[in-house]
Amino acid sequence: MDFDYLSGITEFILKGTGVTLKIYAVTLVFSIPLGIICAFGKISRFAPLRILLGAYTWVFRGTPLLLQLFFFYYGLSALTHGAIQLEALFAAYTAFVINYAAYFTEIFRAGIQSINKGQYEAAKALGMGSWQTMKRIILPQAVKLVLPPMGNEAINLIKDTALCSIITVTEIMRNAQVTVSRDVRVEGLLIAAIIYLCFTFVIIQVFRLLEKRFAHYKN
Amino acid sequence: MGSEIINVENLHKSFGKLHVLKGINLTVERGEIISVIGPSGSGKSTLLRCLNHLETADKGSISFEGEYIASVDSEGNSVYKKNREVLAICSRLGMVFQNFNLFPHKTVLGNLIEAPITVKNEDKQAVEKKALVLLEKVGLSEKKDAYPGQLSGGQQQRVAIARALAMSPEIMLFDEPTSALDPELIGEVLQVIKQLAEEDMTMIIVTHEMTFAREISDRIIFMDNGTVLADSPPENIFVKPEHPRIRQFLSKMLQSDD
Repeated sequence: MDFDYLSGITEFILKGTGVTLKIYAVTLVFSIPLGIICAFGKISRFAPLRILLGAYTWVFRGTPLLLQLFFFYYGLSALTHGAIQLEALFAAYTAFVINYAAYFTEIFRAGIQSINKGQYEAAKALGMGSWQTMKRIILPQAVKLVLPPMGNEAINLIKDTALCSIITVTEIMRNAQVTVSRDVRVEGLLIAAIIYLCFTFVIIQVFRLLEKRFAHYKN
Repeated sequence: MGSEIINVENLHKSFGKLHVLKGINLTVERGEIISVIGPSGSGKSTLLRCLNHLETADKGSISFEGEYIASVDSEGNSVYKKNREVLAICSRLGMVFQNFNLFPHKTVLGNLIEAPITVKNEDKQAVEKKALVLLEKVGLSEKKDAYPGQLSGGQQQRVAIARALAMSPEIMLFDEPTSALDPELIGEVLQVIKQLAEEDMTMIIVTHEMTFAREISDRIIFMDNGTVLADSPPENIFVKPEHPRIRQFLSKMLQSDD
């Protein structure tokens, strides 16, 4: 084994983690609140809003994330004859936030709607208003239900950030590819795999702890 | 005695094409205990659920202590008060459901103090004190920190009764409170209801427990196919039922009762 080579490319590939984590953090910080808001919209009584949001989640869950990345990086610029040209990293943020918010919308909607009708009735019979019922009875129970699918998305997201390498964002995958084509050696891919596994390990542990916090009661 | 607490006139309710309530009239006086019996699908639960606006009536009026929750327009259609006002009135009616509907993410004590604090803005310490007294009354003091999922059906229903009582309701509505329970757990719930009867709580009980209904009620309402067939003291119903439909129902029910 060539340890000098390995430590050299490891250092280089690790330089991409900052960008990977930035995309990860920005996506979660913006897409979760956006998903919650859209979930309320999707269960609202206002039909045009429901239809609009239905179209949104269909388009962004129904097309490849890679295609959406291309759209925000190349497509937007081409369509506007260069008037709008997003920076690569910003195009990545945009595509990821909008894409993941679509998934979170559906997860939260399903979580809220799977709470038994009897819970609403009990709250109403006790005189609780709809906002109080949502805040104190429905949402706390929905949080427990959405944790497992949220955990899946959180793991998918760290892997999906690798797609950004294709639009020149210098994250982990991009740097690994650079070593592969520059040196005609594949060790870089192995290093990248190990880094991703470390991240997913941490994410899994975080969600395990979160689920444990809600394990004291049965829905 | 003698003060009217609930008055229902010409109540109609349909679910789509299904006409469930066909002109119900009902008056309940303070301190009265009324059991509503009759075949499945006769509209008993729907009537009860209309009283605290879990269902919205199509036609007819509903008033609580002379205050109209729903009045009628010139064509007899129900016209409800503003949502907030209806909610405020209905919080004075306690409701116990067939499936308990306890809040699973809250402890037993948490279930009891939730509404008094969030709806009536009562002081937390005072509410807790009162809640503990109520738990004592239903025999579940030692379960105050348990979650509903850790309790038997009978225990859950007793907590649900205590939860309703924590709002100091002026009348209690029971919607088949023992129908979801294993037979050996029914007694403990009926016992709690009897205890409330001794304290002169006004109650409307939808039930299939005929012996219990006969024993506890001042009046029995027999419903069939969306109408009230009989509204009279228990003896008239159980000893000498005039209506053949009632005789038929009772002979079937009392057979299975043993």
